[in-house]
Amino acid sequence: MKAAPFAYVRPGTVADVVAELSQEGSKVIAGGQSLVPVLAMRLGRPAQLIDINAVRDLNGLALDRGALRVGATVRQRRMQREQIAAGVPLVRLALPWVGHREVRSRGTVCGSIAHADPSAELPAVAACLEATMVLTSQRGTRQVSAADFFTGALSTVAEPDELLSDVVFPVAKPGEGFGFGEFARRHGDFALAGVAVRVRTSEGSVDARLTCFGVSDVPVTVDVSQQLRAALEKTGSDPSRPDLQSALAAHTPGVAAVAVNTGGDSHASPGYRRRLISVLAAREVSRAYVSARLSESEERSR
Amino acid sequence: MNLPQPHARTEADQAVDVNLTVNGTEVALSLPARVTLSDALRDHLGLTGTHVGCEHGICGMCTVLVDGDAARACLLFAVQLDGAEITTVEGLGWPDELHPLQESFGRHHGLQCGFCTPGFLMSSYDLLTHEPEVQRDDLSTELSGVLCRCTGYRNIIDAVDDVAQAHRGALPGPGNCGQRTLVGRTSATTPAAVAAESDVEEEPTERPEEIELPAGAPTIHIDVTSQLASGPDEVAHVFGDIRLLARCLPGAELTDELGADWYRGRARIALGPMRMAFTGIAHIEEQTADRIVMRAQGKDTGGGAQARIVMSATAVEGGGTALRAEASVFLTGRIAGFGRSLAGDVSRRMFEEFARAVDRAAAGEEEPTAGTRPPGAISLLVATILDRVRAFVRRLTTRGAHRR
Repeated sequence: MKAAPFAYVRPGTVADVVAELSQEGSKVIAGGQSLVPVLAMRLGRPAQLIDINAVRDLNGLALDRGALRVGATVRQRRMQREQIAAGVPLVRLALPWVGHREVRSRGTVCGSIAHADPSAELPAVAACLEATMVLTSQRGTRQVSAADFFTGALSTVAEPDELLSDVVFPVAKPGEGFGFGEFARRHGDFALAGVAVRVRTSEGSVDARLTCFGVSDVPVTVDVSQQLRAALEKTGSDPSRPDLQSALAAHTPGVAAVAVNTGGDSHASPGYRRRLISVLAAREVSRAYVSARLSESEERSR
Repeated sequence: MNLPQPHARTEADQAVDVNLTVNGTEVALSLPARVTLSDALRDHLGLTGTHVGCEHGICGMCTVLVDGDAARACLLFAVQLDGAEITTVEGLGWPDELHPLQESFGRHHGLQCGFCTPGFLMSSYDLLTHEPEVQRDDLSTELSGVLCRCTGYRNIIDAVDDVAQAHRGALPGPGNCGQRTLVGRTSATTPAAVAAESDVEEEPTERPEEIELPAGAPTIHIDVTSQLASGPDEVAHVFGDIRLLARCLPGAELTDELGADWYRGRARIALGPMRMAFTGIAHIEEQTADRIVMRAQGKDTGGGAQARIVMSATAVEGGGTALRAEASVFLTGRIAGFGRSLAGDVSRRMFEEFARAVDRAAAGEEEPTAGTRPPGAISLLVATILDRVRAFVRRLTTRGAHRR
């Protein structure tokens, strides 16, 4: 369980990082919480590791035109602590589910997204919020929407010479509410199934977006506005959360049937995962709707 | 937040320099980049309190604090932590004054085989410092980053909950941090010891400004008084001759005089299957006819030792001399782990043997001990064990007496 030898470099600027990254066999390391186990098991043997922790420009966590820009070395635990990150409530809801405290102390937000594990929380959050990925290489910088970023298990559109330098999350607006839930055998394990939800309400109109993870090789996003509206027709527009959850439960099995396309594994069959998604979706969509209504009325009373 | 300094590309077969502060001690290491923090702590710094379980971030045995936050030492390459402050379980407390968490784990029997204990201690320390209001019901989730193979979770949660309630928001910090010499099996040393080591190889006459003793209580404190047949004047003769005095130390050998009361030497100690060969330096701070004060520092592959020793001779009524030796000894590395009390017994034995040698030297013997021969391993050990057995029997009989 020792990593194979590798060359090591710790550049001080983004330009130096991408110059090193253009060399064959190079891999970026930030927190290393996903990469080091891979190296320890010698599942990966990069010729060179580029430690990006000395690059000040990659350590930024700042608001930028209605969005939160998260640099490549921003640790998950820092996102949980700093007030500025409260502007993206869905990330804060999801972070306690990412590994354990010990892992979040070092693990980065961008690293988790770049690693693109199908059961990981943060890729689903990025997909649900329609976050933007900023990829930097010697050829320049390009922006990719989360919907286009994930291409398969542990695979993204990022080229080997590209660095995921920032992820840009839209800051929550009034009338938006969020929900997040997952089921794992043990806290901190990768989820058997999980959901991230964003609901927008505005003067009677309702829009709901559900992203499921652990159920396919990439996060699967489904528009559930129709299902939410159907449930609200039964309950009225100001239901309690349990009432809305019961009403939604009539519709979520259909959603789960579409979303879950994994073949199943030793941990859970596809049928079991569908049940999990169905229950989690009803619970978290209703939670998101209730908090969206609350945020809308707070805004109106201002 | 302090970022590490940039570092030039280092090839896979080359070592990378890294500076860390470990339990308050600044250390400079030179390591291959692939060495994890857990291996650096254990192999290069001799801090084997950090246990290694799965080595891929699942079990949490290796949990340490990095800049105050708990992290898995097996998931960090040491070279990535340039400038970081590391706290390991060794920094948390010391045997005579445990950290409240350590004390509570003991009281609640929160350890069975003990293998996961360092991980649980560091993880719960991090939890209680950052989330002091944590409730008992949340502890099982919050502590799920560490696995106990004995499945003794109930007692662990009792232990942590007890401390959480007793110290809401005011958990004492690590109680055993300070400057000390850390020596591992692989070459890695503190800046001070690097300087001392370079003396041997490059500048044989150079010596440090002073021997700095670690802060905090010593590993062993010795205070032994031996009765010598020789009179004070004869003992003063030995005290006045450092070369002769050194020959009285069992296993010791003076190899070089550095001037201004600085000496270089070797000490070999054999104990059971263990063989230790210390090389180091000593500084005589005070030397009179009846009193010698010295500081010494040495290292062996198994660890390091620093000591301040005061020897004083007083005349005894009716003839002879009382030779009193007081020593504060600080041990690090594997030798520190070999048992504080046993190490204390052995050191005491060595002082007694030294006292006898001084007596012989005072009486005019040329070779008070057989030169650099290691002290009789078997006789030392047998004497130590005999002492133990006697003490044990004494305790038994006293207890028996109380019962009656």
